[in-house]
Amino acid sequence: MKSKCRILMVITILAVSLAACSPAAEESTGDQVNLILAAYTTPREAYGEIIPLFQAYWLEETGQQVTFEESYLGSGAQSRAIVEGFEADVVALSLEADVNRIQNAGLITHDWKTVENQGIVTTSIVSLAVREGNPKRISDWADLTQEGLEILTPNPNTSGGAMWNVLAIYGAALRGEIDGVPADDADAAFTFLTQVLQNVSVMDKAARDSILNFEMGIGDLAITYENEILVGRQSGQSYERVIPSSTILIQNPVAVVDASVEKHGTRELAEAFVDFLFTPEAQEIFAQYGLRVVNQAIAADTEAEYPPVNDLFTVDYFGGWEVIMEEIFGENGIYNQAISLAQGDAQ
Amino acid sequence: MNPAVIQGGRKTELSKWCLRVPALLYVTLMILVPLIVIVEDGFREGLSGLVHQISLPIAQHAILLTLWTAGLMTLINAIMGLATAYVLVRYEFPGKRLLNAIVDLPLSIPTLVTGVMLVMLYGPQSALGAFLSERIGLNIIFAPPGIVVALLFISFPFVVRTIQPVLMNLDLSQEEAAATLGAKPWYTFRSVVLPTLLPPLLSGSLLSFSRAVGEFGAVVIVAGNIPLKTQTAAVYVLGAVESENRLGASAVSLLLLTIAIVILMTANGIQKAWEKRYEN
Repeated sequence: MKSKCRILMVITILAVSLAACSPAAEESTGDQVNLILAAYTTPREAYGEIIPLFQAYWLEETGQQVTFEESYLGSGAQSRAIVEGFEADVVALSLEADVNRIQNAGLITHDWKTVENQGIVTTSIVSLAVREGNPKRISDWADLTQEGLEILTPNPNTSGGAMWNVLAIYGAALRGEIDGVPADDADAAFTFLTQVLQNVSVMDKAARDSILNFEMGIGDLAITYENEILVGRQSGQSYERVIPSSTILIQNPVAVVDASVEKHGTRELAEAFVDFLFTPEAQEIFAQYGLRVVNQAIAADTEAEYPPVNDLFTVDYFGGWEVIMEEIFGENGIYNQAISLAQGDAQ
Repeated sequence: MNPAVIQGGRKTELSKWCLRVPALLYVTLMILVPLIVIVEDGFREGLSGLVHQISLPIAQHAILLTLWTAGLMTLINAIMGLATAYVLVRYEFPGKRLLNAIVDLPLSIPTLVTGVMLVMLYGPQSALGAFLSERIGLNIIFAPPGIVVALLFISFPFVVRTIQPVLMNLDLSQEEAAATLGAKPWYTFRSVVLPTLLPPLLSGSLLSFSRAVGEFGAVVIVAGNIPLKTQTAAVYVLGAVESENRLGASAVSLLLLTIAIVILMTANGIQKAWEKRYEN
């Protein structure tokens, strides 16, 4: 009885003390160095090929063996994890707003836009995936409001990809690039966005979930990253890509996290890795995985696969991410008003 | 005084505490503290901030959808769970042991898998789903019926498993006596069996309701998640967390928590009153 009691006590004390202390981070020393990469999910396969190239490069340059710890999560979730204490050395995220969050938390202290191409390592565009043979005859945004069409797009509250989608639709409408919607008419653009949202039948929590549902045969059309469509087609999917005449350029940033590299002593390594992502070797691999690359020469080589867009705009058209988060995705923002109007009638 | 008695007294005193302290500490650390964090966070901007978050149309709709789908599920589950338990205890038939084992299966399948399974079965791309949708006009997946079906699946064991042991202990001779006295089977069931089964039926049903209100994994796959249409409270909470609206997440969570507490306490009260009535 007594010994049982003691065991219980000991277990309790152990459990409490275990919870109280956290393991200390190891410093990188000697011939073995470690780099923690936190990325969004889309470029996972590309990093799987780029990392071995970088390891070989670094071994040759410095004689050090680099081991990688890789984490792939939704861009927003990844960014929040870092703010809450995940010590990633390098982040590769879907949108700038997610890097800004880390910066605002004081973990990135340098101007991360000073590296090549302002820290944007790959790009893509918002495109449409349609069924084989395009049975609904979708050629541009204006076709998305036809009666009874079933559209898949993720939820902007949980998905960076969904934000890009909303920005693409609203931006194209505002720029007067959609038939029947006059340029610079905010009310008309809002109405158009509402009409498209009325046809949305499923809102998944991430872009990947959305395209997987589409692959299961659900919906007539998915609004998504161009690279998701290209990678899907590479793996044998039969859906087709439709590039709208006007769409937004998705810009994916990379950055070194100062707080982490200071703690791990990996600044030099982390900066070298970021620089390496801009080399032709790395850019070529990104291009193989459906991404529009920023290296001019490689981009020119792959132009057949990545046709130019008639009217391509960036987040700057809206005044940058700060403005977008407030005016479009804020509590009383354009998106919330549009979805309320679109789905409120349905009841 | 006899020394042995004193020693014995001390011993019980000590062992009493050595079990209580770890148990209470455990409950505090693992359950109470996380709950307090939610409550504190929900009131971060006072009562008005909390009420504002709950009364946003999208949040309100999500809460109502969650409550009515869980409520409908509980009603169906209560009736069918009772029937299943009765059949499993009172009748013999081939495959009974297998059926008995299958009852618990929903608890060990990840609910996300449950969702995927249901989409494959009832989704618009499946033969069954297409038939139901085109011929009968009933959409299950990406509509509220899908939520109810998913909740039924995941909470099926709760009613069956709370009723089964009570039914097993129920003296068969009472039913036989009633039958010999000429009572019809349904009358026997209603006046002899049902009164004893009501408390476990009630607690099993409420347990399944509480479980269903918080369900995320299966629902996020089958519901369609469209705000103001098919988005449930748990999915809304995820959206709120992910879009930096922690207050909204805590406020809605807190409301669901309060509903669960009120329901569990009501169930307790009813059960106490019932026991009192049947003691006399």
